[in-house]
Amino acid sequence: MAASRKTGLMRRDRQTLLVAAVLVIQAVAAMFFVADAIGDLAADGMTRHIAVEAMIAFALMAGVIVGAWHLRVLLAEADRRERALTVARGALADHLSARFRDWGLTTAEAEVALFALKGCDAGEIARLRGAAPGTVRAQLSSIYSKSGVSSQAGLVSLFFDDLL
Amino acid sequence: MEPSTELPRRWDPIVKLTHWGIVAAVIGNALVTEEGSGWHIWVGYGLAALLALRLLWGLVGPREARFGAFPPSLARASRHVGEIGRGEKVRHRSHNPLGALMVYAIWGTLLVVIGSGVAMSGAPPADPSAVRGEHGEGGEGEEHEEASAGPGQWLIAPARADEGGEAGTEDEGEELFEEMHEIAVNLLYLLVALHLAGVAFETRRTGREVLGAMIPGGNRRS
Repeated sequence: MAASRKTGLMRRDRQTLLVAAVLVIQAVAAMFFVADAIGDLAADGMTRHIAVEAMIAFALMAGVIVGAWHLRVLLAEADRRERALTVARGALADHLSARFRDWGLTTAEAEVALFALKGCDAGEIARLRGAAPGTVRAQLSSIYSKSGVSSQAGLVSLFFDDLL
Repeated sequence: MEPSTELPRRWDPIVKLTHWGIVAAVIGNALVTEEGSGWHIWVGYGLAALLALRLLWGLVGPREARFGAFPPSLARASRHVGEIGRGEKVRHRSHNPLGALMVYAIWGTLLVVIGSGVAMSGAPPADPSAVRGEHGEGGEGEEHEEASAGPGQWLIAPARADEGGEAGTEDEGEELFEEMHEIAVNLLYLLVALHLAGVAFETRRTGREVLGAMIPGGNRRS
């Protein structure tokens, strides 16, 4: 599975590289065409021939700009998918601990938060950890305030939000 | 809500292609092509196109590539120097603040090189191998004839000026541009040397990620 994921990533890399390479060639061609058209314009003044050339030059430049925009969307999409994949894969644990670290949870709070995410209530967590229910409840309310939610359901939905 | 998963740092293909394309063009025009020759002018125009694309990419590209991600700020740069002094390692998604100053310095210098080059050469010659470099220009009249016979070529400019009777000022302008071109190119070499030194320093300080971000196939996302 890891192998197929890797080839998928490489295919996407190649795809964006191809679009980028075409864009680079287009930009170089546009530069030569525009320079040539300006040179002709300076030499011969405005003729019908140059008017058409100028239009082509304009179209080429517009193509470069639109192409660049399109590539940016493509890259953003690839990036988003990759992030989504990282979350969906077994990296969920890393993701959780990264979020816990972001919120500034203590080690004990992070452990309690993990139980809370698994659906345990304060009593069960206290039993599992061999701690007083009051301590666990205090830790839970600290977790909620640090993560900016008001309940256990809110905490779970924070992570569901990442996955959807 | 943004997940805080950190992907390895890697420049997008446009940044990489324009970077290495410009490197190739600078090396080509410094070492391979003859100064002022048709090929020199062609490579110069190619370089101009790559730089133009990179500047466009600075407006519409992904966040790390956009100008907003690396503003030219002396305040940030001096803060960064402080971080280096204290041995702190801050991850930068884009160029680090010192690198950003270098980027703008190199771009500015390249623009002067391109501008003065275009001012001397005019439009790119239709057949690059027909236009000889500076060394062929001086002595032999025949070559001059041959070169200016073709359409839209760079040696025509002084010839036209002769007709208008403004040869003196035209030549002076030419000399000025030549001077600008040479000074800017030498400045460019200096900046490139500093850039390489900066990359080497940063690689030693914070690891190979800086290098891998720009190398083709580097910092693979596994």
